[in-house]
Amino acid sequence: MEMTQNTDLADDRLLRRMLAGDEDAFADLYRRKHPAIYRFALHMSGNPALAEDVTQEVFMALIREPGRFDPARGSLGAFLFGIARNHLRKRWEQERRLVPIAQDSDELDDFIAFAVSGNGHGNAPPSTFDDLDALDTIGRVRRAISTLPENYRGVVVLCELEEMSYEEAAEALSCPVGTVRSRLHRARTMLLDKLREAHPVRRAWARGK
Amino acid sequence: MNCFQFEELFHDLDRPGTDGFAARDSVLAHAESCSRCALLLTEAESLDLALSALSARENGEQASPRLEKLLREEFRRGHAVSSRRRVRWQIAALSTAAVMLLTLGLLLRHRSGTPTGVQSGSLNPSAARNSGANATNAGSIGADTSTSDVALAENQQADSDSETSFVPLPYADDSMAGEGGAIVRVMHSRPALASLGLRVTDMADTDRVPADIIVSEDGAPQAIRLVSQSSLD
Repeated sequence: MEMTQNTDLADDRLLRRMLAGDEDAFADLYRRKHPAIYRFALHMSGNPALAEDVTQEVFMALIREPGRFDPARGSLGAFLFGIARNHLRKRWEQERRLVPIAQDSDELDDFIAFAVSGNGHGNAPPSTFDDLDALDTIGRVRRAISTLPENYRGVVVLCELEEMSYEEAAEALSCPVGTVRSRLHRARTMLLDKLREAHPVRRAWARGK
Repeated sequence: MNCFQFEELFHDLDRPGTDGFAARDSVLAHAESCSRCALLLTEAESLDLALSALSARENGEQASPRLEKLLREEFRRGHAVSSRRRVRWQIAALSTAAVMLLTLGLLLRHRSGTPTGVQSGSLNPSAARNSGANATNAGSIGADTSTSDVALAENQQADSDSETSFVPLPYADDSMAGEGGAIVRVMHSRPALASLGLRVTDMADTDRVPADIIVSEDGAPQAIRLVSQSSLD
């Protein structure tokens, strides 16, 4: 919490200097904030070009209308994430095809085969994902995330990939902490189901059938 | 702990500040006694590993340097525009302030001359009626003209309005008698005035006409002027 406050203070100082016309302050602010915004947009869209466009729009908005940011309503980071979400939604409305749908059964099969690798009988101790990298499952996990509904995908990106606390994610998503928690639990369950989906035997085992 | 409680908590085992983190030991103890929950826990841990790997791998992802350059240019352009706008506003504000100060100054200057007329008006109603003329005269005389001077000038002006100027009599020998002598008001007949060279045709149709005569120190009349009936009233 203290670190968050320090971050906010540093952001406020940079923002004030930026408003006074200090280009270096704007550059510092951009370098501090843009990676998280870019990655958020990238994970949410699965499209690097779109993620870059969204990042550009977010900081253009900060340049053109800095008065829209009200410190009393939240941190600068939350404000920027809010703009990013709005731009993503607009783009999705314009180009729905930009949301990748990972329905490739081969990829899921690979993932599930890895995830549940064992002796094929339900009583065997489940495998871990220790060699996920070797099986190149990172891309599959990313695709599984991209198939989640937007609200669930957002909390996974912020809480799991950006490693935000529930409070920080709640501020960024403009929703209550309890909502973030319940969405994340639901999203993780959905992810497990998706990664398990192509392996009905294992799934049945997992459910005790 | 039962399976339902386990499912509520097992996603938060590694997240400090949550109920799952607080009940971590109980959750793990339940997983050891329940194979179904043990599998769920293992899958959750595997998912955590996968997500961590994904996060670590993409942690360095960021937009291209070209974007920063583009945004800096936009910032410079936007700031230049706003600076020009701010300068224009400042010039407009300063101009407005200057006009207001000038107006205020003129108003105060105008008011500083007005109290004399108002004051004299309170002392002399006729002066108040002629305040327009007073202002003109005061301008030529000076702002520090006293009230009495103004009133005197008005009286003299009023006199000159109702009386003609003195006309030297034909036999007068002392042209400076007016300074040392006296003015005597008399009533003359029209023929007598005409004989002294005064025009009496446009006077009121009365037998006797009032006139002022300057009498020198030795008692000899030196000059005469007609006095209008209205000034006598």
